[in-house]
Amino acid sequence: MKLGRRAFLAAGAAVACSSAGPPPGRKVAPLWFTYGGKNRQVLEALVRSFNQSQGEHWIKPVYQGDYFEGLAKLRTALAARRAPALSHVVGEVVPYLADADVLESLDTYPGARELDVVPALGQAGSWIGGAERRLVALPFNRSTPIAYLNGRIFAEQKLAAPKTWEELRAVAARLTERAAGRVVRYGFGCPIDWWFWAALVGQAGGDVVEADGSVSLGGDAGARALDFWKTLVLEDGNMKPPPGRDYNAWEQTNQDFLASRVAMIWTSTAFLKYLEENAPFPVVAAPLPGATRRAVPTGGTHWVMLRSAPEAEKATAWAFLRFMHETENAVTWATSTGYLPVTRSAVAKLEGDGYYAKHPNDRVALDQLAVARPWPWSRDLFRVQREIVQPRLEGAVLGGRDTRAALDEARALARRWR
Amino acid sequence: MRETRTLRQPLREGVIDVGLGLAALVWLLPYLWMLSTSLKTLPEIVRAPTAPLPSGFELGAYRAVLEAMPLARYFLNTTLMALGIAVLQILVALPAGYALAKLKFAGRGVAFGMVVATLLIPAQVRFVPVFALLADFGLVNSMTALILPFGVSAFGTFLIRQALLSVPDSLIEAARMDGASELRIVYGLLAPMLKPTLVSFFLFSFVYHWNDYFWPLVMTTDDAVRTLPLGIALLREQGTGVRWHIVMAGNVLLSAPALAVFALAQKHLLRAVASKGP
Amino acid sequence: MRPSRRLDPLWMLGPTVALLVLFFFVPLLQAAKSSFYDWDLLTPPRYVGLDNYRALIETGELRHALTTTLTLSVIVVLGSMSLGLALALGLNRPGRFAAFVRSAVFSAYVVSWVSVALLWLWVLDADAGAFTALCRALGIPTTNWLGNPRAALYALAGVTIWKIAGYSMVLFIAGLQDIPRSLYEAASLDGAGAWQRFVNVTWPLLRPTAAFVGTTSLIISFQVFDVVRVMTQGGPVRSTSVFVYAIYEQVFLNLRVGRASALVVVFFVMLLGLTALQLWAWRKKGAA
Repeated sequence: MKLGRRAFLAAGAAVACSSAGPPPGRKVAPLWFTYGGKNRQVLEALVRSFNQSQGEHWIKPVYQGDYFEGLAKLRTALAARRAPALSHVVGEVVPYLADADVLESLDTYPGARELDVVPALGQAGSWIGGAERRLVALPFNRSTPIAYLNGRIFAEQKLAAPKTWEELRAVAARLTERAAGRVVRYGFGCPIDWWFWAALVGQAGGDVVEADGSVSLGGDAGARALDFWKTLVLEDGNMKPPPGRDYNAWEQTNQDFLASRVAMIWTSTAFLKYLEENAPFPVVAAPLPGATRRAVPTGGTHWVMLRSAPEAEKATAWAFLRFMHETENAVTWATSTGYLPVTRSAVAKLEGDGYYAKHPNDRVALDQLAVARPWPWSRDLFRVQREIVQPRLEGAVLGGRDTRAALDEARALARRWR
Repeated sequence: MRETRTLRQPLREGVIDVGLGLAALVWLLPYLWMLSTSLKTLPEIVRAPTAPLPSGFELGAYRAVLEAMPLARYFLNTTLMALGIAVLQILVALPAGYALAKLKFAGRGVAFGMVVATLLIPAQVRFVPVFALLADFGLVNSMTALILPFGVSAFGTFLIRQALLSVPDSLIEAARMDGASELRIVYGLLAPMLKPTLVSFFLFSFVYHWNDYFWPLVMTTDDAVRTLPLGIALLREQGTGVRWHIVMAGNVLLSAPALAVFALAQKHLLRAVASKGP
Repeated sequence: MRPSRRLDPLWMLGPTVALLVLFFFVPLLQAAKSSFYDWDLLTPPRYVGLDNYRALIETGELRHALTTTLTLSVIVVLGSMSLGLALALGLNRPGRFAAFVRSAVFSAYVVSWVSVALLWLWVLDADAGAFTALCRALGIPTTNWLGNPRAALYALAGVTIWKIAGYSMVLFIAGLQDIPRSLYEAASLDGAGAWQRFVNVTWPLLRPTAAFVGTTSLIISFQVFDVVRVMTQGGPVRSTSVFVYAIYEQVFLNLRVGRASALVVVFFVMLLGLTALQLWAWRKKGAA
């Protein structure tokens, strides 16, 4: 019975291999990637380019869903001792994985020191004390949150991008249109997500998790950040909180912006090309406003190699990582998507070619790196984000729950149940 | 049925007919709209999402589905898995049902009790330890992980036992006197007699496991043995606009086999369900 | 009968028992054991006693999972049973039209939950979905069915009812057909109208079937997972975080196997109660 099944499977698999498989003799390594749409296409094109540019290695990309689904699968695979050689994960979870000793140290790989990553995007700049630790993460699709403005509406109303919270509130009020008691267009929209809340907390002068790992949730700044959202959503009614969870909400924000249902949104620079290409109006990117100070978190993911993968696969994975850090490819990745170019030589090339002069929107995220705040190297960061903070943000803003109560509860939980 | 209020009858019948027609619409229209959406282009959907008929017969969405995933491999994986499970369950349940129905031996009550008890332990209760166990043997993300844990079907065992209870003992004794081994009796004599039951059960189990999402979700990590429900569910990509025509095309491909089996073998499936299976 | 060889039952029941022990009973015991540990699948487990249960209670997670699941279940059971009964009453007749409608209704039960979830994700889309458009056309106020924390659970309940009403219908039809015609005729002769016939003849004889359908639907609704995973991922604001989804999330997203195992133990105990109820209902039907 089993033999028949296996033969069947082999025959079927041979037939089913429509997407070109690796030619014989190549060293194959799987790359588990997440997120779809346009960015997926760009990544797959780069993978194809890598596979065709040399004859030794072959990367097999496997799609695993969104960041959280993909992370779940990666952790499952680690537990099942079937992890791929290469994947990419959000910055908040890297310390946890590193401490669990599942990440491969990259220091010893050839050329690791010469990769010339942009400091704010690499390990050194992404985590406090990142430079002193063994290298485990390289930047992949790195981003900051930025504001996108509907160019036509802003020009019509003769408004500029808000630079402070008060200005944001005023602009949102000006741009919200009502008809027959219903809101026809919102002035501002933003996913109720940890990332943007972290940005607000930073702007209000606080840090979500302190450098020593204690979960302060920004203290007073955390409450002010949450209250700001609540004011915009519940009091003024000028901010559209997009529905749905995680990336459903992000996607809804984009759609609302494209359909002119919202005049100004905050979302990742990652969607720059997508929005520019699909908007029936000029898209203007702008940096986020500040309150006490200007601050943004960085986002996106980092490449990681998994220690338990076979050595041959890791060698192939490394070859691909070097490929992605070559100036040309870093430039292609950044300019096709909106993510930041990860090497200094890529940035220099883009500046030298006058790219930013022609595409000022792309500069916004890059310039914001000057005020980017690193995460603490804390193994609890991801858990605090997912389990404790995220649900309470939604509860406070969407459910009208008392801000201080929600945050106090979150802090208590974080301390009690490590 | 004699009805004294003859005037009310046609009106009542009419109302019921309308009601039934509505019911048919409620259950059919969503699928028709799904099909229609799958044949549209994205601009068309943005413009007129609820237009009942596509303006053209666009197969672009189906092409996109085929490009986005190894569809044939998923289909094959799913079919093999469901087939493997259904066949294994029948092979295992036949002797078990026979022993429980016909034979007297020490421990029969215990065995029967064990089979009943498994109805209380659904997949969601056992998946983590089973996962850990399979991981220890390096069997996660393999057909074994998808098939073996379902090797026993309490439902199937009971069905077979029930059916065998009505087979006269004399038949079996006669076969024994003819020198047939118990093995031959179970698989060679009784199994063919139980064909309708086995066919119903096979179809029921096949469709049920073909459609399963939870277990493959937990037990697979990549494309090697990924099943179709998982693959199609991944179509709802995030971040740059859900492409509904593609998601619906994938859904058409996912629903078609189950609906085909249903269309061809309705009676058998209904029989299995009506005999109080889950 | 005696087995022709004394050890025959060994090979006959051997595979069954072996598979059951390996994949049912041992895992159950292990899940119970894991509930007393803190384990993330990547590092060695750490004994924590009753902490997991305490955490579930103090964080309110247990209560939340219970209320969410029970709310969903009550709506699903009542909805699918009444709908199933109504359909059965209307469709328990010969003729091709009735057969066609029966097939249409039951077809939803045959396809996968993923298929139904993806379909309704589109139909319930707040901007472009057919259901939303229909509501607008009829003047019914719309909301974001799956994105509004107050509406999402009910939307999922509706989808679940749509999928399993056919199952209730089939069982009720079988139950109706067991009722002898003569009883209806006798009631008719006594002058009973349609409603009285239902109350005095149909319903009492249908009660055992109803009890069975009810408990089975209850168990199905308790195990709902796919629609949640595909349509709402437990949100918005965790309003659709039913039991099985909460277990899944604890294991795969939070990597808290111990906490998940504690949830599993509670879940198992609940199912024990429900299945006892189901067996009792089945006995009554068999006896009737």
